Amino acid sequence: MTGTIFFLPGLGLGAEAAAPLAAALGDRFRVVGIDLPGQGEAPDAADGSVGALAGAALEAIEAESDGGPWLLVAHSMGGKVAALVISRVLGGQANVFGLAGAVLLAPSPPTPEPMDDGKRAQMLSWADDGPLSEADARAFVDQNVAAPLGDSDQRNAVGLVRRTSALSWRRWLSEGSREDVSATVGTIDLPVVVLAGEEDVDLGASAQPGLLGRVYPRARFVSLPDTVHLLPYERAREVAAAVVELWESTVSVSPAVPPHWGRVVASDRTPVEARALLARRAIADDVHYEPRALSAAQLTTLGALADRVVPQPEGRRIDLAARVDAELASGSGDGWRPAGLPDDASAYRLGLDALAAVWPAGEAEQNALVARIVDGESIEGAPWSDDLLRLWFEDARNDLVRNWLAHPASLARVGYDGFATSGPGAGPAGYVELAAGTRDPWEPDDLGALASGHDDPKTDTDPGALTGRENTA
Amino acid sequence: MNLSDMRTYANDEIVDVVVVGTGAGGAPLLARLAERGLKVIALEAGPNLDPDDFTNDEVEAPRINWMSERLSGGEAPTAFGPNNSGWGVGGGTLHWGAFTPRPDIRDLRLQSETGVGADWPIDHAELIRYIVDVERTIGVSGPSSYPWDTEREYLEPPVDRNAPADLMALGCSRLGIRATDAPAAILSRSRDQAHHGRRLASQNLGSIHQGERYGTKATTALTYLPAAVAAGAEIRADAMVHGIERDELGRVTGVVYRQNGIEKRQRCATLVLAGGGIETPRLLLNTGIGNSSGLVGRNFLAHGAVQVWGRFDEQIRGYRGYPSALISEDFVRPEGVTFAGGYLLQSLGVMPLTYATTLVRGGGLWGSELLDALDSYRHMAGIGINGECLPAEGNRLVLSDETDEWGVPRAVVTFTPGPNEQAIDEHATATMTRILEAAGARDTQVFARTAHTLGTCRMSDDPAAGVVDGDGRSHDVPNLWICDNSTFPSALTANPGLAQMALSLRTADRMLR
Ligand SMILES: Cc1cc2nc3c(=O)[nH]c(=O)nc-3n(C[C@H](O)[C@H](O)[C@H](O)COP(=O)(O)OP(=O)(O)OC[C@H]3O[C@@H](n4cnc5c(N)ncnc54)[C@H](O)[C@@H]3O)c2cc1C
Repeated sequence: MTGTIFFLPGLGLGAEAAAPLAAALGDRFRVVGIDLPGQGEAPDAADGSVGALAGAALEAIEAESDGGPWLLVAHSMGGKVAALVISRVLGGQANVFGLAGAVLLAPSPPTPEPMDDGKRAQMLSWADDGPLSEADARAFVDQNVAAPLGDSDQRNAVGLVRRTSALSWRRWLSEGSREDVSATVGTIDLPVVVLAGEEDVDLGASAQPGLLGRVYPRARFVSLPDTVHLLPYERAREVAAAVVELWESTVSVSPAVPPHWGRVVASDRTPVEARALLARRAIADDVHYEPRALSAAQLTTLGALADRVVPQPEGRRIDLAARVDAELASGSGDGWRPAGLPDDASAYRLGLDALAAVWPAGEAEQNALVARIVDGESIEGAPWSDDLLRLWFEDARNDLVRNWLAHPASLARVGYDGFATSGPGAGPAGYVELAAGTRDPWEPDDLGALASGHDDPKTDTDPGALTGRENTA
Repeated sequence: MNLSDMRTYANDEIVDVVVVGTGAGGAPLLARLAERGLKVIALEAGPNLDPDDFTNDEVEAPRINWMSERLSGGEAPTAFGPNNSGWGVGGGTLHWGAFTPRPDIRDLRLQSETGVGADWPIDHAELIRYIVDVERTIGVSGPSSYPWDTEREYLEPPVDRNAPADLMALGCSRLGIRATDAPAAILSRSRDQAHHGRRLASQNLGSIHQGERYGTKATTALTYLPAAVAAGAEIRADAMVHGIERDELGRVTGVVYRQNGIEKRQRCATLVLAGGGIETPRLLLNTGIGNSSGLVGRNFLAHGAVQVWGRFDEQIRGYRGYPSALISEDFVRPEGVTFAGGYLLQSLGVMPLTYATTLVRGGGLWGSELLDALDSYRHMAGIGINGECLPAEGNRLVLSDETDEWGVPRAVVTFTPGPNEQAIDEHATATMTRILEAAGARDTQVFARTAHTLGTCRMSDDPAAGVVDGDGRSHDVPNLWICDNSTFPSALTANPGLAQMALSLRTADRMLR
């Protein structure tokens, strides 16, 4: 599967600034550069807000996404736009699916961007009477690189700066860069790599952890020596390497959602909330996950148990133990527990400690132990009677398999597309074809055959079916 | 539902009636009393929901279920949560399956007929008159002729059959078992519902147990509650009743409830408890009211709900369509058996996470067997039962010493199926397996289950034999009534929702006498 990289450029640049990255990545990825409003061919936005830029970026992403996994690469101003784009995508508010992570290049933060007043004034003055002059554009590029760019990169970059509309340039400096979108963005639980130059003044490597650490708790910060700000040109190879590494530590190790399933999730048939939940569940688990309800040792035991209860293939896995721990920490629960057991989290702690004490090394022995507990046999040092141990174990098995199944790749695997019902564009909200072996036209094609004449209203002998169904769109 | 323009009452005003709970038991009565001009308030522990609050995501769906923990004991611990009572304006009807068979006359006379269980202190013909009223109001679809009751008429044509219904029909016809389209409180034709508005015809959603946005499934929040509000009732959501106040004669004078963290009191002349089979006895035990018989919490009943699933070559995908579109009443009184009572059959489609839980809890599966079973999910068609349950000494609800978020002791519910329940289960399992095999199932799997929470405040003519009389009035406290599943003297083979709504109208009429 080739992956898609969506690229959001910084101020003064444009879609074409993705070219060095695309060249460095080669055939493995489809790199889609996006002109933000006022850049390249793109018209100016309706207003100067970051939201307007994000809206335009999302439209482009929606138009180009294929339902498969993708990463967002965003530079400078594009980084602030990216924060809103990501929060909307993970909030289900865009018709896309498959966001796996982001590589941010000297990104502007969701909070007002730190910028020297003199610099702001100077940059504003460049666009007083229209797009930047050749000399000003050159000055802008030169200020933002540590060493001169190669000829063609230099030509391209300066050309892009000159094509940037004066309005969008001024708006960013006077409005967008100063806007505070941090409340809307909140905390984003996504694998993120932040690259920044050591020579950059305001958005450099030393500033980034302070600016973004709380926004992206899973961010890894990389500092690049001899680099100022134009990372897409200055450091295309390092950026490409970061993209590949992020891809391989997320998409490549997660269960894959087939792209045609991803497109159904992205479609208007799927309600916003369901799309958001599926988008979040599809994100690769944090290898550095710190348990919140269990101890590290208990989490390890739960992981070992998960491997027996819900065996997953090597290489592509969901961290079921981490997901159950997060659920326990949230206190959600399932509305009941066997009388005699303490609250869920306490029961897990006691049960896992007892299990750890007798957990054997070999897989066959582990399976034998699980089988014995399921059959209601005791284990040495059990905190409860055989029966209660079996009932706690039943809860744990149930929690593990439900967390596995709620992942969109698992739902696709078992052939369930019921998330694509009740969305704003679902007309009718549910299914038309109900017979064995058949499917509706919008459904993934591995789910059955299309009835002949499928676009006719259902030709059932049942008069209720004929007259009763209404379009809800 | 829309509560913005409703009439409101002051806490210190003595309203005619306070109703605790807005589900199948609370809502019809609220509407009828309001329509007769009484000043009525419903207090509902859960939230008031908009259609968009219902989600097709199974992990998030329990927001319409009572999720405050209950403790389950016995050999078949009842799984509460999503599998049990309601939460929110609309109560259990928000998540019910809307499968609406009518109670069979023989089930109301179980004791007279078989010597075990209990008779209902209610005339079957009268109950059916109320049921017809409910069916018309909420919109019940069904077959044009009903094999087990040729007089019966359904005003709406049946909803579409899905693949499990087709297969159960095939298997039944090959075995000479009668089966037909299930009566269901799902509209097969759109309609305008008085005081609510447009309700759409069935959208063939298999996720109806998670709530449904289009009004195709009848809930009290679409039917009786808007009618009640239109007639002047007030509905207070997020209002958890945890105390009952009384005068020196023992008569109820008001209730204590917590709303948004604030303790409030509402005065009333009459109190109706409609909190369901768990919450009503919990409240009574905690307040020590209405229990001179000692039967509050006793006689807990849970319907037998064993399921058999068959694997077919084609993709069944029973999460499409109304989940239980086929019914058979051929086994309400099976021939040649030694057990009392019987069971209804219904075809089954199921949502994936619910199925996974069934595989784990009901089937004991784990490991590669579990994953294989999940990989077969799309090929599975099921049949399930609703089976009679006899009262037993040990099956009861008591209070634990652990308190919940409102400071009320949690309920401990103990349930162990007795020999009669086991015999029904075995008979039904054999029947369902035969049907699935006759329909061409490759292999079949049996999952143990129970459903519903009944009987914990049973009705009786004899004050020593129950908590309320046949009208629903407390044997002890004259201005205290109970109108929910806790009053069921026996479980019935019919699912309880429809009968509960009928009982609710009937209790209202008795209160108005
Ligand atoms: C998964 C499932 C599927 C079902 N499917 C069907 C079906 O297909 N057909 C059928 O006939 N029946 C079905 N039922 C059963 C049906 O839902 C119940 O019979 C019916 O809802 C019971 O009505 P009730 O009034 O007793 O309780 P509920 O409808 O549960 O209403 C009780 C209400 O009281 C509120 N409440 C409780 N205590 C308090 C308090 N102290 N203060 C304030 N409010 C309180 C609760 O929040 C709740 O809203 C199903 C049940 C379940 C669990």
